[in-house]
Amino acid sequence: METIDAVNKDFKAVNKTLKETLNGQQVVVKNAGHLHGLASGLKLGEVTIQGDVGDYLGVLNDGAIIKVTENAGKYMADNMTSGVVTIDGNADYGAGQYCYGGSIIIYGDAGDFTATMNKGATILVAGDVGDEVGTYMLNGDLIILGNAGENFSNYLIRGNVYIGGNWKSLGHNTRVEPLTSGDLAKLSAFFEKHEIEANLTNFKKIVAASEKPFY
Amino acid sequence: MAVIGAFCVSVNRELCINARMPGKCATCAEVCPYDVYSLDVYTGEMHIQNFNACVGCRICVEFCPANAIRINPAESEYISRYPWTFGAIEEIHHKAQTGEYLLRGFGTQTPTPNFDMITVVPSQIASPAPQDKYREECDMEVIIGEGTCERPIHLKLPFVWPAMSFGALSKEAKMALAVGAAMTGIATNTGEGGLIPDETWLSRGYTDKEFTNKQWEPGGYLVVQWSTGRWGVSVDYVNSGDGIEVKIGQGAKPGMGGHLLGAKVTEEIAEVRGIPAGSDALSPCRYYDVQSLEDMKHMVEFLRDVTNYQLPIFFKLGPSRPYADVAACIEVGADAISIDGLVGGTGCSPDLVTQGVGIPTIACIPPAVQALKDYGVHHKVKLIALGGIRNGLDAFKAFAMGADAVGFGSAAEIAMGCRVCYACHKGNCPYGITSQKPEMRARLDPFKAGEQLSNFLKATAEEIKILTMLSGHNRTIDLSTEDLRAMDLNTAALTGLKLAGYDRPLPMWENGNQPVHSHG
Repeated sequence: METIDAVNKDFKAVNKTLKETLNGQQVVVKNAGHLHGLASGLKLGEVTIQGDVGDYLGVLNDGAIIKVTENAGKYMADNMTSGVVTIDGNADYGAGQYCYGGSIIIYGDAGDFTATMNKGATILVAGDVGDEVGTYMLNGDLIILGNAGENFSNYLIRGNVYIGGNWKSLGHNTRVEPLTSGDLAKLSAFFEKHEIEANLTNFKKIVAASEKPFY
Repeated sequence: MAVIGAFCVSVNRELCINARMPGKCATCAEVCPYDVYSLDVYTGEMHIQNFNACVGCRICVEFCPANAIRINPAESEYISRYPWTFGAIEEIHHKAQTGEYLLRGFGTQTPTPNFDMITVVPSQIASPAPQDKYREECDMEVIIGEGTCERPIHLKLPFVWPAMSFGALSKEAKMALAVGAAMTGIATNTGEGGLIPDETWLSRGYTDKEFTNKQWEPGGYLVVQWSTGRWGVSVDYVNSGDGIEVKIGQGAKPGMGGHLLGAKVTEEIAEVRGIPAGSDALSPCRYYDVQSLEDMKHMVEFLRDVTNYQLPIFFKLGPSRPYADVAACIEVGADAISIDGLVGGTGCSPDLVTQGVGIPTIACIPPAVQALKDYGVHHKVKLIALGGIRNGLDAFKAFAMGADAVGFGSAAEIAMGCRVCYACHKGNCPYGITSQKPEMRARLDPFKAGEQLSNFLKATAEEIKILTMLSGHNRTIDLSTEDLRAMDLNTAALTGLKLAGYDRPLPMWENGNQPVHSHG
């Protein structure tokens, strides 16, 4: 296993080493808290980041498995198309925006505008989330175990939002529905896979009221 | 929505085949997308049943085998009941009846200051002598990204196709643009609606996806757009281009994101964009993943990183505060900046935004050039002028004002056959340019249209060559504002150009070409 110490290195140098060394094996990156855009556009391999990481982690990720042992900055896993990004700590503003696929697991809390314009990824937040989460989601699943803030799932178009806790206010174009047996099976399988304990009885599902809410 | 009675539809019954032999011909009814004509199924007679619905697309004129139809504007908007023009009245009726504001395709209809009141100053005895267009060469090549990336774009002619998305345009129109770019060595742009695979090889001049059969020389370039909706974007998408354009705004709707109405979201488009078929695709007005200039800088850095520092980065701006906006683009590391004026076209936009928001193209260029000069990067970071540029004369004036290249969006659509009916948003384009309906798309042959586009560009390039050389230059980069004069006070005030006759800039511009700039 390769280890890269990112102290005094810029993201360009670290990403170059990552692309050169990643051929399916594992790489550990240390001291990457100052790096924005780390592990961008990777197609394979497994990157473990020990400690915190800056903004735009794993942007345009297309197949790599990325793990962060502490917290991630803003816009983590932005525009991901496939792969898995796991954050053991918290994620800042705008985690998992514009994703087309893959999964994001945040074991801590996530900030405002998480999963905005999600177009097909499965995004799980084990803690609480901020305001405007799931805005203009067009597909995919968003699963939140804790509570959500204001304007939750605003202008949802398609996809499913599952929440174990409560929200301060619900956004436009939303409808609360009971979970089906299919939903329950999907959620328990996902929780089992990622070793998360959750009580599914309290879960609520939010879907779009209309697929054409604007014109 | 068409203005009621905006067009008179008249059929010469002496020529009309149906009038002479009912049942023999129904071409006009077949091609009209708005049911202006109706065929009586019992008698076989053709009637004009609903000429109020005519938008003036003239497809019936085009297809009429007897050349019997004439479409004329009913009467001029501005001599009728101004300010209560027919358009204003119809707009109020529309709102009163539907509770919705008016949407419009194509672009603005109201007169705005444009290049017409600028004249070109030829060379005589006091200035460098004119160059001979027939016997001397004129250099028009533009290199974007020289020294900043590994694969700079060498535009053979100083033109680009501006971003027009798959969705706003049909697949055939996108293919035609790619072919036109390949034939002339310019760059086509995916627009924000994702990439049609055909664009990848057609734009480089190849007819097959293996890139083995090169049909068109010199071969063009493909710029992929990175926009606020991020439709169809992946790491493969950004790497499939020769350049990446970061869209900030556009001339027809600055401050708003792209609008693609559900009527045009077919299964194919829905798949490319990753949204339900038939639902409206409304791009956000800003990047959800950019909150500051610092974030934008990181965005440019990671875009360069995921493309291995190969591709130049373009920025596209709407017409807002050109000096400050261009300065910001330079700060974040742009290689080329497109600035789109008020007249810029669109597939669909709220009518009042198209008509009344933004500043004209001629007023965008001088402050943009000033910003480039202040940063010491004029002609290094390329400035691309967009918005209402129609011909070589307009393009020449943009170059002399300081732009490096120009884009022809609306003009490209017209070169493909568009008759400017302002109904792009309805999805009924009878020429197959902005429609997704198979019967209409079938009327547009992408290769024939590509050739028309190439012809248009070649002729326009010749026009620019004439003007460049008669004003005493043999490179478009050497043109300057000295080669132009404003012909009225208004234009002189907007552009800082010398007023013809007075031969100086207006007094307010006299302290250098330096307006008061602010960040608003």
